[in-house]
Amino acid sequence: MRRQPSLRAPTRLIGRFLARNPIFVGILGLVVVTTIVEPQFATAGNFHNIIRQFGTLIFVSLGMTFVIMAGFLDLSVGGIISLVAVVTATQIDAIGQGPAIALGLLIGLACGVLNSTLILKAGATTQAESLFITFGMSLVYGAAALIFTQGGTTYLSYSVSSISIFDAINSGSIPLVFFSVPVSFVLFVVCAALLLVVERRTYMGRAVLLTGANKTASRLAGVRVDRSIVMIYAVSGLMSAVASIVLISQVTLASPVIGQPYLLQAILAVVVGGTALVGGRGSVLWTAFGALLLILLNNCLDLLGVSTYIEFMFRGAILILAIWLDSRRAEGGAARMAPVEAPTIAEHDLVEGA
Amino acid sequence: MADVEQASQPLLSVRDVSKAFPGVLALDHISLDVYPGIVHGIVGENGAGKSTLMKILSGVYAKDSGTIVFDGQAIERTTPVLSMKMGLSIIYQELNLVNTMSVGENIFLGRFGETGGRRGVHAKARELLDRIGCKVDTHRPVSELSVSDKQMVEIAKALSFNSKLIIMDEPSSSLTEDEVRSLVGIIKDLKSKGIGIIYISHKLDEIFGFCDVVTVMRDGRVIATNAVSAVSRGEMILMMVGRTIDNEFPPRPDCVEEPILEVKNLTTRKLHSVSFNLRRGEILGLVGLVGAGRTELVRALFGADKVGRKTVLVDGKPVKIGGPIDAIGHGLAMVPEDRKAQGLLLKFSVEWNISLASLAAMSHFGLLDDSLEASMCERQIRALNIRTPSGKTRIESLSGGNQQKAVVGRWLETKPKILIMDEPTRGIDVGAKYEIYLLMKRVVEDGGSIILISSELPEVLHMSNRVYTLCEGRINGEFDPAQATATEIMAKAFEFA
Repeated sequence: MRRQPSLRAPTRLIGRFLARNPIFVGILGLVVVTTIVEPQFATAGNFHNIIRQFGTLIFVSLGMTFVIMAGFLDLSVGGIISLVAVVTATQIDAIGQGPAIALGLLIGLACGVLNSTLILKAGATTQAESLFITFGMSLVYGAAALIFTQGGTTYLSYSVSSISIFDAINSGSIPLVFFSVPVSFVLFVVCAALLLVVERRTYMGRAVLLTGANKTASRLAGVRVDRSIVMIYAVSGLMSAVASIVLISQVTLASPVIGQPYLLQAILAVVVGGTALVGGRGSVLWTAFGALLLILLNNCLDLLGVSTYIEFMFRGAILILAIWLDSRRAEGGAARMAPVEAPTIAEHDLVEGA
Repeated sequence: MADVEQASQPLLSVRDVSKAFPGVLALDHISLDVYPGIVHGIVGENGAGKSTLMKILSGVYAKDSGTIVFDGQAIERTTPVLSMKMGLSIIYQELNLVNTMSVGENIFLGRFGETGGRRGVHAKARELLDRIGCKVDTHRPVSELSVSDKQMVEIAKALSFNSKLIIMDEPSSSLTEDEVRSLVGIIKDLKSKGIGIIYISHKLDEIFGFCDVVTVMRDGRVIATNAVSAVSRGEMILMMVGRTIDNEFPPRPDCVEEPILEVKNLTTRKLHSVSFNLRRGEILGLVGLVGAGRTELVRALFGADKVGRKTVLVDGKPVKIGGPIDAIGHGLAMVPEDRKAQGLLLKFSVEWNISLASLAAMSHFGLLDDSLEASMCERQIRALNIRTPSGKTRIESLSGGNQQKAVVGRWLETKPKILIMDEPTRGIDVGAKYEIYLLMKRVVEDGGSIILISSELPEVLHMSNRVYTLCEGRINGEFDPAQATATEIMAKAFEFA
């Protein structure tokens, strides 16, 4: 009896943690349910499968996180992935695989810088304006990919030169003490860690959050808002290029429309992770878990033999749930303090005259 | 106390009411009696507990303990609608009207049945508005009304419930002087009809102008309730802030040297070739009507807006200011007009808000230094006496005065040569105002200079060494406030109007 409080404390801590981070409830729930219903889920082969699927999506989502944290959107990622994919794949034979990958990354970066330049030149300050500009650019990049290939698909296996890097990303693994880790996962860990350091420890990372929270106040206080806008789109473009290279390694082909499905999923992963769509709050770390949840859901529904159409419905439901939870969290402070049913006056600040 | 004794029974009697929020005791055993036909003023700094008390009376919050008796009935738990029906109405600072609906519909919102349909609504609304001498057409949508007319509509709405007690929460904060005068007329009229009025205000002039009784609140407690005739201004301020403030303004600093800033031919769409100078160690006041171009002038100087043309000399050398970053580089700083929209990052900590302007300077090779940031924040919290639980607290939970001190502190860290302050004391209480004035004094004593914009003329006149009047985008006068009178200066500012 006497030990009860000490036992209860950690339980309560975990309970509070889960209540604040509903995403882990989702991830745990999915793992538990799927393992019970379909034991095949907990096999090494399936885990490898999950990590493979994690690949492309997570890289786009990581880049998108910065954009959304700053209160903007990047709808051009699908176009960038396609363009980078076809250029990289077709240039392997011409300039070798290493230079082709470098060229692909450079194109992604350039597309991002171009996006931000247009946004700044247009004086676009709202999420909606950035949305339309990048939507337009998405069409441009997509069209460029189509023109470049005349609509054709390039197969990596037809390359004369070596494609060892692509093979490594696809199926290589790095042995650790007890098990080996797929190369694509290592790549993810490296990118996520780098971006996390930028987000938490650097001036630019702070500037991104400040821009998302209040552009006007930040600019008036001398924060380099314009530079942070260039940075977020550059990162988004570069990460899309990384995603593109992982993608063509895995599917061993590059088509000019290959990037299309990733846009919505990336935004979904960011929002499900808990990054606020209005900007000013978020983390690449949360996004990693958001992407994990989506991939697990996908994998679980596949294993259970649920049709793809129903899967789309699940994704939509999760998005709506995430946004609902987000808006609840945003007004959390006031809601907790004034638990009274007074809708007309509840908007008043708790703090007097503030 | 003669007035108080005449009225035998209190209309509202609050006894030992307490209310705690997580981390703060918002009300600490509050007791208060309000009598019919008496205007009862309540004053106190931000955070004194005035609004919390009102919200308990109206039923927005539940009290933790104590008793409330209204009109002979004990109130345990009420709701905003119930308390209105009992005859207790509150008119909030931010008016609660439906903008798209007509005046009449707003007055009888949700109660069209009582008036016998639409036509009845407008007839009855007319009657109520006539009672308070308001001529607004009841068919007009509320969105077309001025703030003061909206306030009239709220008062008419309160009357429609046969209110015995009307609570007004800083009603004059958004009114012009004329509008305040007519509001005072209405308050006197309501009073003569035996209606009790609680008048919450920051402005001592109003308390002394037409309140009968005044209650001073501080830190969630009632400090004293007195007949207005029995207290002096000084005593009242002392009670509000809990310490002596001999004067509402500190003595004017008096070290004026060579010009540190010269602005020549600054021209924008609203400003016509404005030239002026600022001397080292000087507080320069800019006076003008709203729309005269004061804010445009300082924003253009600071690079916040794109300007047509300007020549700026700092320390005699021409400088190019293309944006706030340039301005900060040349030793300028600006406390903007709209604290919430332009000054603060409300969702972020006090610390992040204070370090904002020095972020670039304090990062090494792009990396932030957390311990440097924390110590900078601590330094400013202590130096400016910012009342906050810690540097990690979200700044939106601080009072207006403490938020403003954080904004000033942000700039003091950059050691500005020229500090622009646009309405630095708007919406903050007497105590915090005085602290801001002392801060300004300290800045100029340390060799800085200040450009001060304020709509409160006494503030500009008492703080400034020199005053420019601005009218329709032109500087049309220069005064020494020690010599000139307020009337002369205002006459100049009104010249073209």
